[in-house]
This record gives sequence, structure tokens and C-alpha cells, in this order.
Amino acid sequence: MSIDPVSLSAILPTSEQFLAPPAPGFAAWVNESIGAVNETMVSADAGVRQVALGAGPSLHEVMIDLEEARLSFQLLAQVRNRLLDAYQEVMRMQV
Amino acid sequence: MDYRAAFQISAAGMATEKLRLDVTTLNLANMHAAGASADQVYRPQRVLTQALGFGAQFGRLAAAAQAGGSRAVVVPQDKAARMVHEPGHPYANSQGMVAYPGVDHIAEMVTLNAALRAYEANVTAMNAARTMAARTLDIGGQ
Repeated sequence: MSIDPVSLSAILPTSEQFLAPPAPGFAAWVNESIGAVNETMVSADAGVRQVALGAGPSLHEVMIDLEEARLSFQLLAQVRNRLLDAYQEVMRMQV
Repeated sequence: MDYRAAFQISAAGMATEKLRLDVTTLNLANMHAAGASADQVYRPQRVLTQALGFGAQFGRLAAAAQAGGSRAVVVPQDKAARMVHEPGHPYANSQGMVAYPGVDHIAEMVTLNAALRAYEANVTAMNAARTMAARTLDIGGQ
């Protein structure tokens, strides 16, 4: 049985891998989610303003929009809590 | 978030009951509006609702149609005008009778109460869905 020597080019990443842009990671997803939640809250706020001015959607629709905005914000906050927990867990790791 | 579907179903119910309240209020407001003749008086209205199946409900959600928009129609009630003997009234006819809308006061009050209770039930269902969603977010929390 012959053993082939390991060539350096097989280990090192190719130039394409170096030059390829990194895939959008978790940070991008979080950014996007923050933007979406913010949009929900802004639109709920606009609905409240319209109802206060006596125009626009009915009261129950605005209240439901507010609840949806609150729930999506809570979801984001929970994601942030889990992320921070994981980070602190890593920081406490003994080396 | 799929809880949005539950919210929208409740919102459709609320919109229907709100319409019922509006129409009943209109009937009560026009209860004593006399007319020159029996066919000129206000005709009391009522809301007819048609139940949508679960699939239709979600189909409309998917199409982002206005919740509760097409499932309720307002039709006039088949009630004859109430004739009251008031000889001095400007609208009195040759027999001294004045036509008033045939609004059934008791039935309208019952409809009002039923609409209110149904609206409350929809709000309770929506709050239950919201509580369920909030409890879901508690999964894994300290």
C-alpha cells in the first residue's frame, strides 16, 4: 500500500475561495430582522396616528397591529437573549 | 409569524360585529323619523353574514384581502311601517295617520347585546392567541 504525500495546494484554500465574498451570516440576518421589526412598529405607530386623527383603519385593526409589533419585538429580544447567553457561555469556558 | 392568521380571523369577526353594531345603532337612531307616507319612511336594516370556511379564511389571508370585507351584507328588514294616529302632525295623511319606521326596539336591543358579546368573544380569542404566542417565546427562558 502506497501512501501519497499530501500536497500543499490541497490544504490551502484556492484563490477563488479567498476572493469569494463571505456568505451573509447571522449578523446580516439579525440586521434584517431588526429592520423588519422596526418597520412593523413604525407602521403600527402610523396606524395609531391615523386613528387619532379620525381616519384610516378601524380601531381593532390598529390594536392588532400593535400586538403583532410587540410580539415580533419580543421574538427579536428573545433571540438577542439567547445569543448573549451563548456568548457568555463561551467567555466562561476554561482554557 | 403564523399567529398573524389567528389574529386576522379574530379581526374578521370583530369587523362583522362592529358592522352589526353600526347598523343597529342606525336603526335605533332612525326609530322615530316620521315619513310623509308609509313607503318613504326609513327601512330598518340588518346584517346578514355568511360563514367562510377555514380554507376560504386562509385563502383570503394569503391574498391579503381585507378581512371580513365580503362576508357580511346589509339588507333591509321586511318590516311594515308603524302607523300612528297623530292628526296634528305635518306628515299626517287624510285619516290622520303618520308613518314611522317599523323598528323593533326590543329586537334591536337584543341584537346590540349579542353583537357586543360576540365582539368580546372575538377579543378574548385574540388575547388567547397572543398569550399563547407570548408563552411560546418563553420556551427555554430562565
